[in-house]
Amino acid sequence: MLLVDDEDIFREATARQLTVRGFNVLTANCGEAALPLVQNENPEVVVLDQEMPGMHGSETFLEIKKINPLVEVIMLTGNTSVENAIELMQQGTFDYLMKPIDINELLYKIEDAYTRKKLNEEKQ
Amino acid sequence: MRVWDTSHLLDTIPADRTTAEQSFDQADSQVNIARIRLHFKQLQTRLILGLVLGFLLPNAFLASYFHFEFTHTLKKTAMLNLAAVAESQKNTIDLYLQERVVNLYNLFHSKDFTLAPTPAQMENYLYYLKQYNDGFVDVGFLDAKGIQIGYAGPYPTLLGKDYSNETWYKNLFNENKSYLISDIYLGFTKVPHFTIATRQVFDGRTYVMRATLDPDKLFLFLRAISQGKEVESTLVNRQGQYQVMDSGRSRLPGSSEYIPPGTAASGVEEIKRDDQPVLVAYTWLKETHWALLAMQPVTVAQAGMYRARLVLSISFMAIGLVISTIVFFTIKKLVARARRMAEKGQQLQEMLAHASKLASIGELAAGVAHEINNPLAIIMATSGVIRDMLNPEFDLDHSPEAICKELSVVDAAATRAKGITRKLQDMGKNRVPCSIQCDINVLVDEVVNRLKKVEFKSKRIEVVTQYSPDLPHILAEPDPLRQVFGNILINAGDAITDKGTITISTEAKEGTVYVTIADTGKGIPPENLPRIFNPFFTTKGGGKGTGLGLSIAASIVKYLGGTIKVNSLQGTGSSFTVLLPINVQATTLKEQKK
Repeated sequence: MLLVDDEDIFREATARQLTVRGFNVLTANCGEAALPLVQNENPEVVVLDQEMPGMHGSETFLEIKKINPLVEVIMLTGNTSVENAIELMQQGTFDYLMKPIDINELLYKIEDAYTRKKLNEEKQ
Repeated sequence: MRVWDTSHLLDTIPADRTTAEQSFDQADSQVNIARIRLHFKQLQTRLILGLVLGFLLPNAFLASYFHFEFTHTLKKTAMLNLAAVAESQKNTIDLYLQERVVNLYNLFHSKDFTLAPTPAQMENYLYYLKQYNDGFVDVGFLDAKGIQIGYAGPYPTLLGKDYSNETWYKNLFNENKSYLISDIYLGFTKVPHFTIATRQVFDGRTYVMRATLDPDKLFLFLRAISQGKEVESTLVNRQGQYQVMDSGRSRLPGSSEYIPPGTAASGVEEIKRDDQPVLVAYTWLKETHWALLAMQPVTVAQAGMYRARLVLSISFMAIGLVISTIVFFTIKKLVARARRMAEKGQQLQEMLAHASKLASIGELAAGVAHEINNPLAIIMATSGVIRDMLNPEFDLDHSPEAICKELSVVDAAATRAKGITRKLQDMGKNRVPCSIQCDINVLVDEVVNRLKKVEFKSKRIEVVTQYSPDLPHILAEPDPLRQVFGNILINAGDAITDKGTITISTEAKEGTVYVTIADTGKGIPPENLPRIFNPFFTTKGGGKGTGLGLSIAASIVKYLGGTIKVNSLQGTGSSFTVLLPINVQATTLKEQKK
């Protein structure tokens, strides 16, 4: 999976937690850095921060979907609104999570996203 | 180059709103509505006055001009008309008198004329004269010595009278004329009359035929020819004595107040009679030294003009009244409609401002949530890591040193969150007035020196200062000002990637101190320019910026009565100019609002 967040400490701490729980975690600190990883490493699930300098999370999500429409994206942010969440869900994100988040909750979401991706791949 | 300033910002930055402030807003709203109503009331008065005067004044001027011209022309016409009437009547009177003279003269040439006429002959002569005109009273024949040797008429005692000393008799010979018409006089009969006399020479001796004319008849004749002309006519001699009179009077008639000038044959003048203006036309008769006076009151002579003027005045007033009424009600209606729209607009504007404030509060809340949630997320993630370290299942390093290292991360995140809340408090709190005279050049220098030691240390930044040597001092609190310049300078330093120049210049003009901080950094994208003063807006990633620096700077400068202007060109650099009014006493936000 790929974790994209501009907060270095949060990204590294979360990656460490996911790693010890058996995930193969790639990290990127911005949208621009995430796209080559999606292209080359083909992650199953992307956890994507929305508020980032440079390429915004929503924009990064669209670019990721262009590269691989089957990859599932979970949006993660410190700021949300109902309208924003609905808009992103309509665009095809798997889910929308608010910071701070419990690691187990994130874990379940990643697993659900992974399951759906596999189902979608089988359908095709 | 995009330009932006902060003059609107404090309005959208929510302060601590209390019930008292809300009441203040309502009072503000009422004041605004009252101001709008006053404005439209004044506008209505000005419009009505302007339009009514704009219509009435030119029309009044035109009406006055035409009235003046009309009066002048009509007066001249009235004078000419009166002169024509007088001339016509004079000719008639002259003709009348000529006929009477001819009647009398013809007696010398009658078939039975003798130098010693008998009473019967004289009666025949009188009969003959009366056939032509009943104004003849008597007739007499005077010998060469002036003795009346023949007479017929109501005064038989006049037979034998010596007329040689009578004035008319003398004038008949002195004027070298063959006939004479005397002025009115009493004579031997002591009755007002005038005499017509003709003379004829027989065998070297001059004989005179005289007749008396009744002045009543002349009066009636004059009145007859004057009828229907609204003109009062009379006859006067050179001394102004009337030569016509009512019947039955035994005294000579009086004199006219107006004596016509003997220098002109005719003329028209305006005189006062019983305090009323009267037009008088005079014309001298040919047959005698009398003048015919034709008089007409100006009110009668110019009655047409008075009628026209009355009609014009009434019409003008009626039209003026109608138009004024239409203008008044139309303007009142239009202004009322415009006022209602303005009031509605004002209410909408206030609602919009209120909604904008609510939206700003929402934005602020969202910003706060984002900025607080990020350190909280770090704390939560790091505490999860510590929990994992302590979990034997994962077999991680759980030495006290390793755990302390993670806990310091938690501390740092908590400190970051605390910093955000403190900055928020700084931004929102009301400041107290401060009376310290601040030297802006010194303040900026202090800030630059501090930044050179820390923030600018890692880059090759050259700071160029162009300070105005005689910059006036600003009455303000120095720390907030240091914060303003510090925040702008930190941003300038951040905008420079590796190497660049920051130029700081100060100057004073028109009661304002200008502090310009220009950098040669990457500049601000045009789409970001309207948002750079918004709380929590930042382009610095990785938790480096809170997005509150410029927002706080704008808040402080606005509080000091100043503003911040920004020029920026992407790829070239940005220039922030802080405008601070000189000698402005800082006030609380509430006082500023008042």
